[in-house]
Amino acid sequence: MIQTIIALIIKEFRQVRRDPIMLRLLFIMPLVQLLLLGYVVSTDVKLIDTAVYDFDNSRLSREYVRSLTAGEYFVASKDDLPLLNADLAFRQNRRNAVIVIPDDFSEKLENFEKVKIGMLLDGSNANTASISLGYAGLITAQFNQRVLGLNMPIQLRQKNLFNPEAESVYFMVPGIVAVLLTMITVMLSAMGIVRERERGTLEQLMVTPISTIGLILGKIIPFAIIGFVEMSIALAVGILWFDIPFAGSWGLLYFLSFIFLFTTLGVGMFISTATRTQQQAMFFAWFFTIYALLTSGFFIPIANMPHIIQLLTYLNPMRYYMTIVRGIMMKGSSIDILHKEVLAMVIFGLVVFTFSALRFSKRVK
Amino acid sequence: MNDAVVIENLTRRFGQFTAVDQISLTVRRGEIFGFLGANGAGKTTAIRMLCGLLLPTSGAGRVNGFDIYRENERIKRSIGYMSQKFSLYPDLTGRENIQFYGSIYRLPRRQLKVKLEEMIERLELNEFIDRLAGSLPVGWRQRLALAAALLHEPSILFLDEPTGGVDPVFRRRFWDMLYLLADSGTTLFVTTHYMDEAEFCGRISIMHRGRIIEVGRPTDLMEKHGEKDLQDVFIKLISREEAHV
Repeated sequence: MIQTIIALIIKEFRQVRRDPIMLRLLFIMPLVQLLLLGYVVSTDVKLIDTAVYDFDNSRLSREYVRSLTAGEYFVASKDDLPLLNADLAFRQNRRNAVIVIPDDFSEKLENFEKVKIGMLLDGSNANTASISLGYAGLITAQFNQRVLGLNMPIQLRQKNLFNPEAESVYFMVPGIVAVLLTMITVMLSAMGIVRERERGTLEQLMVTPISTIGLILGKIIPFAIIGFVEMSIALAVGILWFDIPFAGSWGLLYFLSFIFLFTTLGVGMFISTATRTQQQAMFFAWFFTIYALLTSGFFIPIANMPHIIQLLTYLNPMRYYMTIVRGIMMKGSSIDILHKEVLAMVIFGLVVFTFSALRFSKRVK
Repeated sequence: MNDAVVIENLTRRFGQFTAVDQISLTVRRGEIFGFLGANGAGKTTAIRMLCGLLLPTSGAGRVNGFDIYRENERIKRSIGYMSQKFSLYPDLTGRENIQFYGSIYRLPRRQLKVKLEEMIERLELNEFIDRLAGSLPVGWRQRLALAAALLHEPSILFLDEPTGGVDPVFRRRFWDMLYLLADSGTTLFVTTHYMDEAEFCGRISIMHRGRIIEVGRPTDLMEKHGEKDLQDVFIKLISREEAHV
């Protein structure tokens, strides 16, 4: 059995080596994904282009605008369109926000009357809009305090533990590790087995005395190894290039990743038993990856999802792994904190693996 | 010892379609048995059942004395199978393919080395063994596949249209090799639709629409049906069957 499995692994790696496109893809893909997601898909909202309509144009109103743009959040420029057409700038994607300061701003402030400031936001990106609104609210509150010397009885002091700067790259990179592992292992294992079926080499293997379990392990171990290599590349780039802190235990991360691979390879194998051609397998694997990605909490917090979708996330092994990687890397979580996630992955893995292994019989249909 | 292949009323249905319809035959040890039939007659389905790849719907069968329902894994150890589709890895060299199958059949390393050299010499693979299998001309691929199927010295070799798409010279050389194998005691079970190849066989059966309509030695069949060659016998039998339908 060992000899058989080793023969299959050697064969698989020889085939990978003979396919230069595949080889390049395997090593370039994690790098490109990391750089793309690390830099581009930052969820931090910064440098919001803001058109300022200051009808008051007093010392106080200019002071307010200055405090608004003091951080790196808002970039203010003078209005260049009549206020009635301000939405045109949104349509042309030149502006994300409009601030309107009424002409009685300083007058009312000096009389300690209530003043209303208008803010228009481009809601076509609801995420950016709500974050911008949050910043503006905070800055306005600080302005109230500082300029008017108001003494607010309740003051909120906030601090993000584990990620004090709220750098999105810190939680993106662990997420990418999870995404990469899922994509690579589901797709490679599904297509690797279907390719052999398409070419007729699987039939040739099936007339040999090879055991079903030996055949499955021999087909799957190479992809697990590739998965670990990809993961290590992603982690190395994350830590060396993006300076991501690594708070937890490396051994635990790799061990739990091994359990996670068990679930994704099981899914890949299931796909290979449910499809006949590489194209079908590819689409199926792609569909699974997207589902896993969307319901994993990678971009969208699971707590924000409608209840019924939240239920769906429990059927996604990546959801548990996402918690595990982020937990271990950012918070140094240990196994007694993560045991529920581990248990869920083990159950998912056992079910999908057993089910697929039973479907993967050595007889043709 | 017992016969190499014995099947009785072997049947395989796929839904409504009956691919193999109650066929019975016996293949003796050391025989070259030709399994003839038009395309779609059910030859491949029958061979797959004999190799333990496909479960029959009904009927009984033994290969090398092993039951095709329950002992298919023991059958696999004792037979070689060469499918009609080239089924070695095109992106591995000939040598790598042979080494791979040697390990799958659990040949000890030293024995595998000896076997490999023997195959290279016997099948004249010398120039081609280190080239990628996918880049070889069809005739050489066929020989390579034969070498892989023979590594574990099977006592029965199933060949499903082994010479499809191969030129006449190659076909003749291939058959010379099969003769040598048969001389050394290997039973050969060959499907083909080249009638000149059928004449090389000790006995043949002719299959039509899932049923075996004739079995016998080529010369006997020619005599019985009063034809000069097998091609005419084949056409005569098939037309007669078609007329019945």
